[in-house]
Amino acid sequence: MPGRMAGRRALITGGAGAIGLACARRLLAEGAEAVLLDRRADALSSAAVVGAAPVACDIRDPAAVAAAVDRAAVLLSGPADVLINAAGVYRIAPLLDLAPDEWDDVLAVNLRGSFLAGRAIAAALIAAGLAGAIVNISSTAGLVADAAEPSAHYNASKAGVLALTRQMAAEWAPYGIRANAVCPGVIDTPMLRMMDDPAAGAAYLRTGVPQGRLGSAEEVAAAVVFLASDDASYLTGAAVPVDGGVTAI
Amino acid sequence: MRAIVTGAARGLGAAIAGRLARDGADVVLVDISADVTATAERLGAAVEGGPGQVAAGLVADVSDEAASAAAVDRAVNAIGGVDVLVNNAGIGGPDTDVADTSLAEFRRVLDVNLAGTFLMCRAAARVMIGQGSGGAIVNMGSVFGQQGVAGGAGYCASKAGVALLTHSLALELAPHSIRANTIAPGNMATEMHWDELRSRAARSGTGFDEQVEMTRAAIPLGRHGTGGDIAGVVAWLVSADASYVTGQTIGVNGGVWLG
Repeated sequence: MPGRMAGRRALITGGAGAIGLACARRLLAEGAEAVLLDRRADALSSAAVVGAAPVACDIRDPAAVAAAVDRAAVLLSGPADVLINAAGVYRIAPLLDLAPDEWDDVLAVNLRGSFLAGRAIAAALIAAGLAGAIVNISSTAGLVADAAEPSAHYNASKAGVLALTRQMAAEWAPYGIRANAVCPGVIDTPMLRMMDDPAAGAAYLRTGVPQGRLGSAEEVAAAVVFLASDDASYLTGAAVPVDGGVTAI
Repeated sequence: MRAIVTGAARGLGAAIAGRLARDGADVVLVDISADVTATAERLGAAVEGGPGQVAAGLVADVSDEAASAAAVDRAVNAIGGVDVLVNNAGIGGPDTDVADTSLAEFRRVLDVNLAGTFLMCRAAARVMIGQGSGGAIVNMGSVFGQQGVAGGAGYCASKAGVALLTHSLALELAPHSIRANTIAPGNMATEMHWDELRSRAARSGTGFDEQVEMTRAAIPLGRHGTGGDIAGVVAWLVSADASYVTGQTIGVNGGVWLG
C-alpha cells in the first residue's frame, strides 16, 4: 500500500539486522522516512542501500540512546512518531550452564534497550504533543518454552518485552501513543541457528510449524508496519505472533 | 479476491464488506436481516468504478445448517468461488446471571455465535479446499471471549469457543494454505453494544449516557472502537501481508484488555 506511511518519521533499532532492515525497506516503500540505529557501525552501511539514515548507537547506554533519538529528530525534521524496537541478540545455553553475565548481556540489549528507546521516544512525542506508534519485536520464545533450544535468558527477555509493551500501552494511551508487539516464530534470518542442522530443521518444520515453512523477514515487517499504520488504530498492548501457527498448536 | 462477509447488514460487518470491496475484492454480504439487500446496494454504489464490487446481499440465518450451506453456494455462484470468509454474524445477550438464564437462552447465543461460525467455516472450507488455491478465514471473537463478565456467561462462552474453533481450524487447514484467525474486538460503537448498555442501565437504574461514558472512560485509548478500526485489521489479516499469521487471536480493543 504505497503512501500508507506517508509523512511518518520512523526510528528503527537493530536497523542493520535482517528484521530491522526489512522493516526499513517496507516503511520507505510506503512513504515514511527512516533512521536506523545499530551498534555495528560498519553493518549500518546497508542503510545507505535502502535509503534510510544510519546512526551508530549502543542501545544499552541511556546517554547514547538519548543522543541518537535527538540526532534522529534532526535527520527526520521532527521527533520520530514510529519506533521499531528490533535490536536483539540470541544466545543458547542450558540454565545449568548459563553464566550470570551472559544473562545480563541478553537482557541488556533485548529488554533494557527496548525500554530505553521506548521511553526516549515517548518523552519526545509527549513533549511535542504528538501521537505515535511503538512496535516491539518480541518472539514466540516469549510465549512458549523449548527444551531443544534452551535459551532462558532470551526467552525471559522476550517475555519481558511483552510485559513492557502492555505497560507502555497502559501508560501512554492517554497521549495517543500505541504500543504493540510482534512475536516472530522461526524466521529465515542469520539468527536462525537451527538451520546449522538441515535435517533437524526440516523435521521441525514438518512437525512443529503448521504452515510447514520458515517465515521471512519481509512477513515480519508486513505485520510491524501494519501495527504502526492507521489500519491498527484501535490496537494497543497486543502481541501478534507471526509464526506460521506454531503457538496455535 | 472473492469474499463472503456475514452479519453484514449493518455495523462491523457492513464496514468490513465496504473496506474489502474498496481494496478490490468481489464481496457477497450475508445477514439474517432483509436490510442486507439495501446495504449491498449502498456499498456497491460507493465502490462503483473501483477494482472491487459488491455482488450480492443474501438473507440467511447462519445458525441454520441448510441455510448457511445454501448461502455459501449462492455466493460461490455470484462471485465464482470463495477465497475469504469473514464470520461477523453474532448476537449479544442473554445479559442475565447463570442462575437466572434458561437453557433456551443459553443455547440461542451458542447457536448463532458458535454453531453459525462452525457451519459457515465448514461450508466455505470445503469450497476453498476444492479450489486448491488457499484462502483466509477471519472469525469475530470478543474481548469477552478472553475474560469473563458477570451476566455474560453465554456470550463469553460462545466467543471463547469461536477462538478455539478458529485455532483448531487453522491447524487443519494449514496444509491447504488456508489461514484462520480470530479478531477480538473490545467495546465497539455498534447497536449491539448500545443495546447491552441500555439493558445494563435499566438493570442498575442509571442512564444510558452514563453507561456510555463509564465504558468509554475505562478504555485506555479513550474512545469506543469503530467499524473502520475492525475493517483495517480484517483487511490486513486476509491479505498477503499476513501470510505467516494463522491460528491467532488479535485483540482490537483500545487497550481495554492488557492480559
